[in-house]
Amino acid sequence: MAETTTDTAEKAEQAEKAEQVVQCRGVSRVYQDDAVPVHALRGVDFELAAGEWVSLAGPSGSGKSTLLHVIGGLDRPNDGSVTVGGVDLTGLNEAQLADLRLRKIGFVFQAYNLIPVLSALENVEFIMQLQGVAGSERRQRALTALESLGIGELADRRPGEMSGGQQQRVAIARAIVTNPVLLLADEPSANLDTATTEDLLRVLQTLNRERGITILTATHDPMVMGYTDRQVNLRDGHVLAE
Amino acid sequence: MPVKLLVQLSWRNLWRHGRRNGILLVAIAVAVAGVVLLNALLRGMQADMKNTIIDNLTGHVKVLHPGYLDDPSIQRGFEMAEGWSADLPADAVAGWTARVRIPAVAMSERETRGVQLVGVDPARESISFLGGVSIRGQQLDGADDRRIVIGQRLAERLETDLGRRIVLVTQGADGRTREAGYRIAGVYRAEVGGLESIFVFTGANTLQGLLDTLAVTEVSVRLTDDVHEPGIVNRLLATFTGLDVLTWKQLEPQAAAMVEFADAAIFIYFLVIMGALVFGLVNTLVTAVMERVRELGMLRALGMKPRSVVAQVVVESTLVMSVGVTLGVLIAIAVFSIFADGIDLTAFDESLASFGLRPIFVPVLKSGDVVLVMVMSLVLGLLASFYPAWRAVKVKPLDALRR
Repeated sequence: MAETTTDTAEKAEQAEKAEQVVQCRGVSRVYQDDAVPVHALRGVDFELAAGEWVSLAGPSGSGKSTLLHVIGGLDRPNDGSVTVGGVDLTGLNEAQLADLRLRKIGFVFQAYNLIPVLSALENVEFIMQLQGVAGSERRQRALTALESLGIGELADRRPGEMSGGQQQRVAIARAIVTNPVLLLADEPSANLDTATTEDLLRVLQTLNRERGITILTATHDPMVMGYTDRQVNLRDGHVLAE
Repeated sequence: MPVKLLVQLSWRNLWRHGRRNGILLVAIAVAVAGVVLLNALLRGMQADMKNTIIDNLTGHVKVLHPGYLDDPSIQRGFEMAEGWSADLPADAVAGWTARVRIPAVAMSERETRGVQLVGVDPARESISFLGGVSIRGQQLDGADDRRIVIGQRLAERLETDLGRRIVLVTQGADGRTREAGYRIAGVYRAEVGGLESIFVFTGANTLQGLLDTLAVTEVSVRLTDDVHEPGIVNRLLATFTGLDVLTWKQLEPQAAAMVEFADAAIFIYFLVIMGALVFGLVNTLVTAVMERVRELGMLRALGMKPRSVVAQVVVESTLVMSVGVTLGVLIAIAVFSIFADGIDLTAFDESLASFGLRPIFVPVLKSGDVVLVMVMSLVLGLLASFYPAWRAVKVKPLDALRR
């Protein structure tokens, strides 16, 4: 009987975990800046449920980008644990983290970060090539992703031939084409004007609401925060009240 | 990461800095062309030196009395058994001849000179320079010819000429001095001018008659290929028991060392020229990688594995090297085809003769050397690309993105 109770509790916990795309427990990150320790994150607990769009907000140096990078497997915490899509990042080596980023996480960076020698279509296809998706399927999915973001006609253009807003859409297409469990966007509106930001946010909103993509953005742009379901404020490496 | 994508990315990246990579490409092509042409010159020099040695009455293999090299007189001669050459394999031996070669003094009415008096059978001398030498007047007409053929330089030094007589003094088989007057049938011009003042030729039987002997001082054998050398040496040792059988390398060790040095020189020149080039290649690649460190960091952030980043840099380097090396070889072949018939160095005749070289210098382009340069260049390029590749993966994705 006791065993049955334990099983039920574990199942309930697993079910709860399954709904949580991201779970951070006591995450700390300390940098050394000229031998002076800088506490970027201090025991952060954070959860992100499937289908949520959450913004990490706070002033510069508050730790929002660090938390985003730790969740994205680009940085390692000094203490605590991070689970993304059911995978515990603790103990994964560089190659395993790279594989996790490739298969489970989509990134949208502040500076678009497209490959300048590839066209928009090739940039979107690139990730699927790394995943080993077959050529015909890859092309079709990349075109669909670009068209869903309203830039299908720009497929053959290289990044240098597109505006900032168009490049950011290509970056989003690249991030979602692999159907990641989590889309991470670091200051996605930083280089965009108000109209283009508005446009971009509507795109993200559509992806979140219609396709159920879980999004986590680090931003200090109030316009971005206005679109998200939930806002998590950070200051001096601590999570403040939501 | 798929190879096709790797090559596509690398190829396009090369065109991002077309001018810089173009200059690098030209540098590689010029260096490779230089190395290949230098090899062709060295091989030509090597072949020329070797042929000159073998042509200058040495042959590939020579049978001598053990004391002849220290005391080259008719007393150090030997007699050949009848029909000794019947067993020589025709496919290995281009020809052979027996000579009487002794020191002598040549005297004209005005001058006296020390010479090498050589009794020959002209019909067998196709294996030496005498067979194809340019002669003013007449060649000896057989082993019984009582006339002599001398070199142009000796004729000038003795202040004599075609049709006149000179006296040759030497030592007979009995140790006594012999002298005889000979009419000059022909005056030869040798490609290596130094020979003209040394060798005086007459019929072998005539000279044996003068020396009162049936002995010869050497049997010289020319082979169809170097590979037959050990086999023929063994056969001759068995035939001429008690005599020395020496190869051209043993007879002319200094010249042989120079010929062999050409093999080492090819590697030395390659390492010096390509070694210098590799620094340029590494520098360009490091610059290219550091300029793209943010981009490479982004690729890794997206999930590209470190080994794929290394592969990308290595493929870029290999592409540049491949194109540069191919271009260099094509340039070398084009330049070589212009000079394939020979380079006229008559103006340096005296200096070349001292190295045993002919005034018309024919470069030799060996396919093996070209392949060696190509393979070594690509290997060197490959090795050189690992440092910039290592620099590329040393930067963490996050640090790269922050730049």
